[in-house]
Amino acid sequence: MSAVSQYVHNIKNTVSTIFEGMAVTASHLMRKPYTVQYPDRMPVRVQDTLPFRYRGILEVDLEICTGCLACERACPIDCIVIVADKDQQTRQLLLSQFDIDIAKCMYCGLCSEACPTGAIHHTTEFEGADYSLESLIRRFVKDPVIAYKAKKGPETDPKLAPILARGMTYLEQWAPPGGEKPGGEEPA
Amino acid sequence: MSTLHTEEMTLNMGPQHPSTHGVLRFVVRADGEVMREAIPDVGYLHRSIEKIAEKVGYRGFMPYTDRVDYVCAMFTNQGWGMACEKLAGIEVPRRGEYCRVIAAEFNRIASHLLAVGSMAMDIGAITPFAHVIREREMINDLIEELCGARLTFNYMRIGGVGWDLPQGWREKALKYLDHFDPILEEYNSLISWNKIYVERLAGVAAVSSADAINYNLVGPNLRACGIKWDIRKDIPYSVYPEFEFEVPVGNGNWGKLGDSMDRYVVRIREMAESSKILRQALAKIPPGPVLAKTVRNFKPPAGECQVRVESARGDMGWYVVSDGTGYPWRVHVRTGSFAAMGIIQKLSAGLMIADLVTLIASLDVIAPEIDR
Amino acid sequence: MQTLIQNLIASGAFGKNPPSGLVAAIVVFVMSLVVFLVVAIPFAGIVTWVERRVWARIQSRVGPNRVGPQGFLQWVADGVKNILKEDIVPDQADARLFKLAPYLVMLAFALPWAVVPFSSSLILADLNVGILYMTAVTALTVVGMLMAGWGSNDKWSLIGGVRSAAQIVSYEIPAGLSIFPVVLMTGTLSMQGIIRGQGWAPQHWFLFANPFTFVAANILYMSSLAEANRTPFDLPEADSELVAGFATEYSGWRYAIFFMAEWGNLFIVGAIITTLFLGGWQFPHVTNNLVAMNVLEVITFVVKVLFLVFVSMWIRATLPRVRIDQLMTACWKYFVPIAFVNMIGTAVWVAIWPDGNVATGYIMFAAAIVFGAVFIRRVIYYLRRSGMEVYLNPAI
Repeated sequence: MSAVSQYVHNIKNTVSTIFEGMAVTASHLMRKPYTVQYPDRMPVRVQDTLPFRYRGILEVDLEICTGCLACERACPIDCIVIVADKDQQTRQLLLSQFDIDIAKCMYCGLCSEACPTGAIHHTTEFEGADYSLESLIRRFVKDPVIAYKAKKGPETDPKLAPILARGMTYLEQWAPPGGEKPGGEEPA
Repeated sequence: MSTLHTEEMTLNMGPQHPSTHGVLRFVVRADGEVMREAIPDVGYLHRSIEKIAEKVGYRGFMPYTDRVDYVCAMFTNQGWGMACEKLAGIEVPRRGEYCRVIAAEFNRIASHLLAVGSMAMDIGAITPFAHVIREREMINDLIEELCGARLTFNYMRIGGVGWDLPQGWREKALKYLDHFDPILEEYNSLISWNKIYVERLAGVAAVSSADAINYNLVGPNLRACGIKWDIRKDIPYSVYPEFEFEVPVGNGNWGKLGDSMDRYVVRIREMAESSKILRQALAKIPPGPVLAKTVRNFKPPAGECQVRVESARGDMGWYVVSDGTGYPWRVHVRTGSFAAMGIIQKLSAGLMIADLVTLIASLDVIAPEIDR
Repeated sequence: MQTLIQNLIASGAFGKNPPSGLVAAIVVFVMSLVVFLVVAIPFAGIVTWVERRVWARIQSRVGPNRVGPQGFLQWVADGVKNILKEDIVPDQADARLFKLAPYLVMLAFALPWAVVPFSSSLILADLNVGILYMTAVTALTVVGMLMAGWGSNDKWSLIGGVRSAAQIVSYEIPAGLSIFPVVLMTGTLSMQGIIRGQGWAPQHWFLFANPFTFVAANILYMSSLAEANRTPFDLPEADSELVAGFATEYSGWRYAIFFMAEWGNLFIVGAIITTLFLGGWQFPHVTNNLVAMNVLEVITFVVKVLFLVFVSMWIRATLPRVRIDQLMTACWKYFVPIAFVNMIGTAVWVAIWPDGNVATGYIMFAAAIVFGAVFIRRVIYYLRRSGMEVYLNPAI
């Protein structure tokens, strides 16, 4: 292209591309913003809108914990400390300590995947900020409790049944290795 | 007329800077606005991730791979999974491979969105970045329903993936893709073909194809120089051979072949291609298990293996040496950003300081990937 | 302004027989304080809030909306925060230059307000070289920025300061050249004279008087944006390259002064364009009541200026930044030759039609309306294609 036509072409190109860009931005002025005005200007709490599989802060349902220590072994960061001893008199497994350090936890989900009953699970809580590091160690055992023993058939204790049902629903989200158990997922 | 005595300035584009992508440092020797040399200084984000693998074992290392490149974490997950499977001879079921491809291509779109958005912001346009973050948020919402996390996914496992697609997810994903395709064109009208933007990118820091191969560039950086090399097509893995897609290659239409505009346009077109792959995958996904059965104590036989994955930043290589125990002997990751840092020093001679920012942004370097 | 003061003295507002010179001087002094402290500074503050809300809507966000109703007091909070911050002067910096620089930039921002014509009788000083004075005085920012860049003892600030010197000095040329067509058409440099040369209706504005003045208006607007350091020409304070350019080492109140001057300059840019090309405060003569007419004229002027301020914000949100050599190319190879052509073309036009050609005004105004309609159609196309929800209420 000759110099003059290149010059004119440059001016035309500049004007037309700036016109297009300004049209796009002007159209954005009339759209609804995507921002969610957390935490106060929302109809429901954010925690209630998060999906079921959300990996928030860990929580333990001690009523159905079997004391198998699978979660402690699975954690790559060693943030779970469990002390489970067999009581000499009653020959029952006694849980005397179950601490999770949520400051160290990296919310990977490997512990909840390993749990057989779904006792340790992620919640949709994510607001854990606090003023002291000490408070970030969640101690779930106040008085020593007896570990849970899974029954052969369905659970009969009415207090434990809903907790166990929730735990098993949580576990069913995970993909079963080799496709043995039916996962709660859709067929293609 | 006597020549004016000028001195060379040594500037420090320090680890804290609004537009180096992460903590990177450059020592810039400049003669006013024109640079003589920009020497990169890396290592500010080194976290010894490769050493940690030797402590946490094969299964426990999967969440750490997310942190190697947190912008496209699915690819690092996939690389580690494939390396362990190759060592132990495990085969991933077909539905598992499809889930991997779907998650990976969504992540590729998200990573490229961030790359082009922050590039626009470095050049001065502030709205494209906000639009890109909005699109990334929508993708993150989808992946959050799938695996529970928005950035460090830990989605894949040795032998497949951790979660199957939830009920109704496929419809949501297709609805998102229908929303995304016109938005990509709108993004192009806003910034990609804008004359000021094209002038800033065209002809800047062109890399010749010989240099690209010698300096070990990979991914969109390599394809922008005209070399058609994509691991998904040339060393196929997973179920990529079952999909129809093209590999966009730079053509030097805007200035020189291999300049920043080529690298930018290759990324935009790769996003459109990923959208195509996703539609095919979501339509063709077969039923079945998603995770292969593996022994509880994963102990691959002694040996070594190397696996290559086409991540958003290029050919990511995973090299694992196993000694027969449950903990790897050595893990090494070769990432595209580390290679791209090497070429910056060579290309910076004669560029202006504003062009250095363009160069770093167009190479799409991410600091965690460089330092691990 | 002088007639207003004479009328006030004659009507006995200041007592029986006041010394008229002294009274005039005191009235002008008080009025200039009022204009600066009540109009200029709060405008500079409020426009930061408006800019952040406008940008946020363009970016699908919300912007500040919590401090006060719809976030209106955000700028007050920012101002208080800046005052309360620690005043850091770098150890090796040239303290005198470092401390003086913000005040020079503020001076360059404050001086043009003396000739801004708010209405037919509200102008602080109706100089007969008004527009020339304004052009000259806005160039004082160069001195302040160079001082800031050098005095900060920081190589990045130095680069920012030197860039700004090159930029502002270069863009004075097309700006000055684009004022000439208007001066040729009215024969006077005074602000009120130029406004009186136009009519209240758009077809009588100098913007549509002939194609040369239309192009001159655009060149003047873009050059004024370059002088005010606004994107796409904001290299001296390139946010992503030089952190804050020449103002990197400044914190607290000194930083606030720099950026109050920058945002307040938007008004001055709008005022220049409105006076020269958009008919200023001209309003149809609907009443004989002087006070009411003045109020209407002030409102007209301010509305036109605020529209141009909005366009500046819109441009800043859309366009990326040019590089320093591209900036110079644009100025010397594109703006200056086109400005020369405008000047010569207007001279030929005025020679052929000394009293102006009304038909051209109508034709160009109609063309502008058609262009606006095409633009709005394109906007609606993008809005519909995105499929996103429409929300027209600016309050969220």
